[in-house]
Amino acid sequence: MPILRDGQEVQTTTSRMSCKVEAFLGGGGQGEVYRAVLDGKVIALKWYFPAQATPEQRSALEVLAKKGPPTAKFLWPMELAESPDVVGFGYVMPLRESRYKSIVDLMKRRAEPTFRALATAGLELAHSFLDLHAMGLCYRDISFGNVFFDPDSGEVLICDNDNVAVDGQGEAGVLGTPRFMAPEIVRGEALPSANTDLFSLAVLLFYMLVMHHPLEGQREQEIKCLDLPAMNRLYGTDPLFIYDPVDASNRPVAGVHDNAVVFWSLYPQFVRDLFTRSFTTGLRDPVNGRVRESEWRAAMSRLRDSIYYCGHCGAEAFYDVDALRASSGVPGVCWSCGTALVLPPRIRIGDVVLMLNYDARLYPHHVDDDRLYDFTKPVAEVAQHPRDPSIWGLRNVGDDKWTVTTDGGQTYQDVVPGRSVTLAVGTRINFGKQEGEIRV
Amino acid sequence: MNRRPGGELATRPLHFIWIADCSGSMKTDGKIQSLNVAIREAIPHMQKVAAENPNAQVLVRAIKFSSGAQWHISQPTLVEDFKWVDLQADGVTDMGKALSMVAEQLKIPPMTDRALPPVLVLISDGQPTDSFEKGLSELMDQPWGTKAVRIAIAIGSDADHDVLQKFIGHVEIKPLQANNPESLVNYIKWVSTAVLKSASSPASQSAGAAPVSNVPVPAVPTAAPSSGGGPVTADDVW
Repeated sequence: MPILRDGQEVQTTTSRMSCKVEAFLGGGGQGEVYRAVLDGKVIALKWYFPAQATPEQRSALEVLAKKGPPTAKFLWPMELAESPDVVGFGYVMPLRESRYKSIVDLMKRRAEPTFRALATAGLELAHSFLDLHAMGLCYRDISFGNVFFDPDSGEVLICDNDNVAVDGQGEAGVLGTPRFMAPEIVRGEALPSANTDLFSLAVLLFYMLVMHHPLEGQREQEIKCLDLPAMNRLYGTDPLFIYDPVDASNRPVAGVHDNAVVFWSLYPQFVRDLFTRSFTTGLRDPVNGRVRESEWRAAMSRLRDSIYYCGHCGAEAFYDVDALRASSGVPGVCWSCGTALVLPPRIRIGDVVLMLNYDARLYPHHVDDDRLYDFTKPVAEVAQHPRDPSIWGLRNVGDDKWTVTTDGGQTYQDVVPGRSVTLAVGTRINFGKQEGEIRV
Repeated sequence: MNRRPGGELATRPLHFIWIADCSGSMKTDGKIQSLNVAIREAIPHMQKVAAENPNAQVLVRAIKFSSGAQWHISQPTLVEDFKWVDLQADGVTDMGKALSMVAEQLKIPPMTDRALPPVLVLISDGQPTDSFEKGLSELMDQPWGTKAVRIAIAIGSDADHDVLQKFIGHVEIKPLQANNPESLVNYIKWVSTAVLKSASSPASQSAGAAPVSNVPVPAVPTAAPSSGGGPVTADDVW
């Protein structure tokens, strides 16, 4: 039986308003979550089990509610709630919309995003945890159950924020979830912190992109019974990355760890490099060895810009400059249909090469270093010539004029908003603050 | 067309076995009916927990004991397809025989050499009438028997707690005493959800509470087993 019944009213402690329970949504290890109505708005209400309704939890929630969320991506405690008729307390927070699916849905293939949506989700996760850490807070329990994403758009939501604490001050409480905990926590040498969050974030991103755990290879296969002692060994005392470049003794086992093999080779080298660092030096050096959120954010954005489509079946492929150098510029075959891939026109802006697919868009992020990660309104989009569909161009959909040169800087041409420039080799576009060069 | 290659996250099988007392005394006070209802009540919750678990493939079966023992649902059945068949009560309490038969099934083969800790749930209302010790020792001779999470539920006041405690094998974890149908429903639901989850994907770990067994047994809804003893270490890997 749920603790609260439908129709029951509890009181918020700050605004002193009545919050009416509408329906039981689910229970977890700490308490139960309900849909409820507060001040005419539908919200979520979490109520703690008596054993979890501690004074420490209460004061932690009061601190969090006062601080407020880092961004709207966090379903953050808004205020506490209590009732003279029920023991303990709860808190109210925004309600998650049904379009957001769990990472468990992703793992069980009940949610089937594109690679583009996954890269977007990775970017948003890294961005969100950077925002959280920048406030001096740490999350302490990044895992499957606490993150949700929209499989169509890649937008994320971060839930269960009641374990968030000021970094370095979380003396007791949650240690994390097995498989996600940093090895130094598993070994009992450290408590959760912003540094251990970085490890858990890398595990979560690996799960999302590779559909596998980064430390489960030959060593996992040799264990018959995967219980807590085995997990302590695999993830704590004896961890080894399945693609460790030096020690190959923990490679994925065919027939058991197939996802790892299938996905790993698909991603560009710069993504594999970040995972490799996360699970080699990042295993051993928690303070200085881990990949920072800003690095993940840049890599996920670059990964998204690297996506192009198989001309035969439309499946997504990744532009990998390192692989192309090694193969004399031949991009390989499609993972889905086996057809030889053909690179689309692309534009190099600074270090980034962006695929100019038929549906490509450039944002302020790409052309203005002062507006990094601004993806609100596009400044350019690929478009077909209105009279000759065989000609493709880049249309200025922003507010600023571009200057374009087509012959090595001899001739300048203005491209005002609404006009397009043809995608041709060597064309250089000055967007105002950054210049890009077109390759085909 | 699939948008991405590959399959689901790799899982391990998790065998969940009901070991049910069907002796004649289970006929009194509607005990066997209560047990059937409790398990039927638990199945949808068990299916929900399994559906939210990306790491385990949950396989369920049941064995009954009275005069002798018999597999009641013999095939390890995916929990999403699992259907309960009502138990009937009659005869004596050959619990030892049932444990021997479970031990046979925990040998490799038929067990695979790659799994999650099995969950064995022993439910009884009385004293064993055969050699319980022999059955238990055969069970514990199997590595999968020692690695299993063993939970015991005592129905009514005549159940032999010493025997159930020996089956559990950890003094910190006590048999669950079900004195009425409601507490039986609660305990059966707890083992088929919270314990099931813990055996495959242990929940968030809290500081200061080192688990006493190789699987952290979560708090029982009413009376929690007290924790104590040494923490499990990475040396105990099989």
